[in-house]
Amino acid sequence: MALSFYHAALQAVILLLCAPLIAGIVNKTKAILQKRQGASIFQEYFDLWKWWRKPVIVTKYTSWVFLAAPIIYLVTSIMAAMMLPGLLAGSIRFGDAFVFVYVLALGRFFMTLGSLDSATAFGGMGGSREIYISVLVEPAVMLAILLNASRYGSTMLSQMVIDYNAFYFTVPAVLGGVAFFLVMLAENSRLPVDNPDTHLELTMIHECMTLEYSGRLLSYIHLGSMLKMLSFLVLFGSLYLPLPLPIAVKVLLSALLIGLVEILNNKMRLFKVRVYLSAAVIMLAVAIIAQ
Amino acid sequence: MESFMGALGLYGLGTLALVWPKRLELAAHYVSMGLAVIASLMVLSLSLLEIMGLGTGGMLQLGRYSLVVDGWAAAFLLIIGLSGTAVSIYGLGYGRGYLGARIRQLAGLWNLFLGSMVLVVLAGDAFTFILAWEVMALVSFLLVNHESEKKQVVGAAYQYMVMTHLGTAAILIAFYILGSGAESFAFVDLAHSELTPVMKHIAFGCAFAGFALKSGLMPLHVWLPNAHPAAPSHVSALMSGVMLKVAVYGFGRFVFEFIGADVFAYGLIVMVVGLVSAFLGVLYASMEKDMKRILAYSSVENMGIIFAAFGCGMLLVAMDKSYLSVVAFTAVLVHSVAHSLMKCLLFMSAGAVMHATGTRNVELLGGLLKKMPWTAAFTLIGSMSLASLPFTAGLVGEWLTLQGMMSLAFEAGRPELRLLVIFAFILLGLTGALALGCFVRLYGVAFLGRRRSNLVLKAHEMPFTMLCGMGLEAVAIIAMGIMPAPLVNAMRQILVDSPLAIPAGDFIGLWWNGGQSEAVFNPWLIMIAGLLLFALLALTLGSHKVIVHQDVTWNCGTEPTRRQQYTATGFSKPLRRAFDFILKPRRERVFLQRDHAYFGRKLHYNLMIPDQFTDRLYRPVEHIMVRLADTLRIVQQGSVRLYIGYTMIAMVIVLIWGGM
Repeated sequence: MALSFYHAALQAVILLLCAPLIAGIVNKTKAILQKRQGASIFQEYFDLWKWWRKPVIVTKYTSWVFLAAPIIYLVTSIMAAMMLPGLLAGSIRFGDAFVFVYVLALGRFFMTLGSLDSATAFGGMGGSREIYISVLVEPAVMLAILLNASRYGSTMLSQMVIDYNAFYFTVPAVLGGVAFFLVMLAENSRLPVDNPDTHLELTMIHECMTLEYSGRLLSYIHLGSMLKMLSFLVLFGSLYLPLPLPIAVKVLLSALLIGLVEILNNKMRLFKVRVYLSAAVIMLAVAIIAQ
Repeated sequence: MESFMGALGLYGLGTLALVWPKRLELAAHYVSMGLAVIASLMVLSLSLLEIMGLGTGGMLQLGRYSLVVDGWAAAFLLIIGLSGTAVSIYGLGYGRGYLGARIRQLAGLWNLFLGSMVLVVLAGDAFTFILAWEVMALVSFLLVNHESEKKQVVGAAYQYMVMTHLGTAAILIAFYILGSGAESFAFVDLAHSELTPVMKHIAFGCAFAGFALKSGLMPLHVWLPNAHPAAPSHVSALMSGVMLKVAVYGFGRFVFEFIGADVFAYGLIVMVVGLVSAFLGVLYASMEKDMKRILAYSSVENMGIIFAAFGCGMLLVAMDKSYLSVVAFTAVLVHSVAHSLMKCLLFMSAGAVMHATGTRNVELLGGLLKKMPWTAAFTLIGSMSLASLPFTAGLVGEWLTLQGMMSLAFEAGRPELRLLVIFAFILLGLTGALALGCFVRLYGVAFLGRRRSNLVLKAHEMPFTMLCGMGLEAVAIIAMGIMPAPLVNAMRQILVDSPLAIPAGDFIGLWWNGGQSEAVFNPWLIMIAGLLLFALLALTLGSHKVIVHQDVTWNCGTEPTRRQQYTATGFSKPLRRAFDFILKPRRERVFLQRDHAYFGRKLHYNLMIPDQFTDRLYRPVEHIMVRLADTLRIVQQGSVRLYIGYTMIAMVIVLIWGGM
């Protein structure tokens, strides 16, 4: 137990350190594909360092929930990273895939509360849309768990790691992979569901919730969401991507893929997301039946 | 068994508050609520002894009436004792608000209500069961009707009375069918009732309809969102948190002992009804503005989850995989305990908010956290639990339910079963995410941000007794959330010893290895890691230089007004639009003044989300009944000569018929 805790902590630290790099790589990919020079792939580290040093400005309307929210968000992201399978000897036995989902839900719960606590229309709008997206994503997430759990006979993430001998480019594997990719984009506020680059109130969801945060708290939120994205990439690579490659290569490939998808798509209308995520649900249902 | 009689005796003494003299009504309240606390504590400790196997058990025969206590009963006595204690302590303070408004009746009937629920669970034969069930129904009707000056309350109470009696009738029919097969009404004999398949189906259908009605499953839920909010808040807590579970108890008794779960369709029906109730319940809950109606609809959701797990277990039993069903049935018991804790807590805090501000409409609240910090903290714990988040009891029940469904998935060789499992996971996923949204909305709008009306100005923290009641439940939620193993194992043991004799799976703590599945849930570890990290990060904010307070939220350069905050209605707008094909929202827009297309308009706007079941199912039935009654008026004119004529015609027909 002690050893696995040590491994899991190490795994989380490694992922935490890499997360800004992966985000930087996605941004650089987008820049190159748009024929821009773009910022350095280490830019996210500089940004985090800048925010870390700046003071936090808090409005007088808020309560302790507003201050606690970013911390809880980052904590849940780190805990989710500790639960991931595959990188080191073993992940920590916090729980299974359902616990993974609900640990991340804890972070979302507090972020949305924090957004409502700032007492303006912006925060509430972000929170409201975040809940809307999460409601539509959740059935797909559950089916993705069901697909792998019923295949490998366990709901533990460490047991679900893709088995190339039996599951190599079969119909359920491909459909499951594509559907999980769609889910991943929606869960991590990427295009075409949310636009991570803009601060226009018409498009933003995640950015809208974080609008009132500043300084060190903002750095926690950004680090938390970058770590969450990396965790999903690791999960995508080790559970759903049917390619026999090392996990680091898979993560890099999926990061490039996200960059590619983001420049090829526009932000879709908020109420079209329903259709987009229904597609993921249908693909997963077919994959489960075809198994 | 005799010690349970002691607790019942104390409830009986408490009921005597009804006949105390008027000038001593406050004393009557305190004495009677105090007795309720002591009696509930007794029930709690006795049921714990019984669950741990140290109880005296046994049965008691009083003429025709008999009382029996076994494991299944003890699990539900635990719920009654635990929540009964906490809510009675809260009631000591909250009930004072009814001074001069029939406070003696409230306190006396409170004891009778608790006592009748204990009696239902202890009943050892159909007579005792029905008697106690009927007392429970009537007393809860009187309690709902307590504020009978309000027209709405009376309407809700009578609707409740009619509906609950329909349910009782269905249960009576089920008992009658079983009893005529067994030629006895004692529960031990009912278990050996010999029935033809058709009679068995009818008995099951009636029992399910009756208990589903009492636990508010759709489409029989229509009374619940009206009746629970109408009652005084501590009564609502008891009705939602405890009385609904008594229905689960009764249904379990029928399935485990009398009818059995060996028919595939039974489990299927129960599961589908449960899943649909869970989803629609929480969907309606996310649209309501009235705090207590939100909680009432959320009860429909949670009862749906409990029955879905129940149906899942029944399906596994019907497929001869009963060793897998233990997880699903454990989920039923554990989620019943969890829901009882969290729903009692939130109804108590809704009562506290009403007490402080005089309104239940979340749109008029906001910023309560600063006015009532303790109530806010307890409510946050309850909300987290209802959103089934880590560290709380809610996740334990939810996780077991999901694992139960997963055991069904592992056995889903049959294609139609695979579709059922997909359907179940989609609906459970939607339910979980909607529940999170629903309680973010409730908590964020009512307790965070700035006040939305001046009603909040007079808000104040609650007296000690009320905080104590809420605090007890909050502590229980956290304790169950981080150390669920003792409770879960005890509940599993109850099922192993139950008449279905479910074989024990490999179920160590919450590490479960049964069938092919392996699943781990280690809340203790989650908590340690979470708290460590939280403390570490929180320390980085400790220094004074880090946090600088400024005046107001940035609002594009203007002073933000309180009305610019998101409302609860606005918050749920995207969901309302995404699910408009189910909700069918209606809006009324009347222009009072319209000088120009954009400026100088004044309008009256009203958004309604009518319960579709009321509109499409109950209204037409009501309409047909009234029409039928109208038609019958033709033959019933009130004239004596006409009636003599009818008698004559009837006699002639009988004579002719007899002659043939």
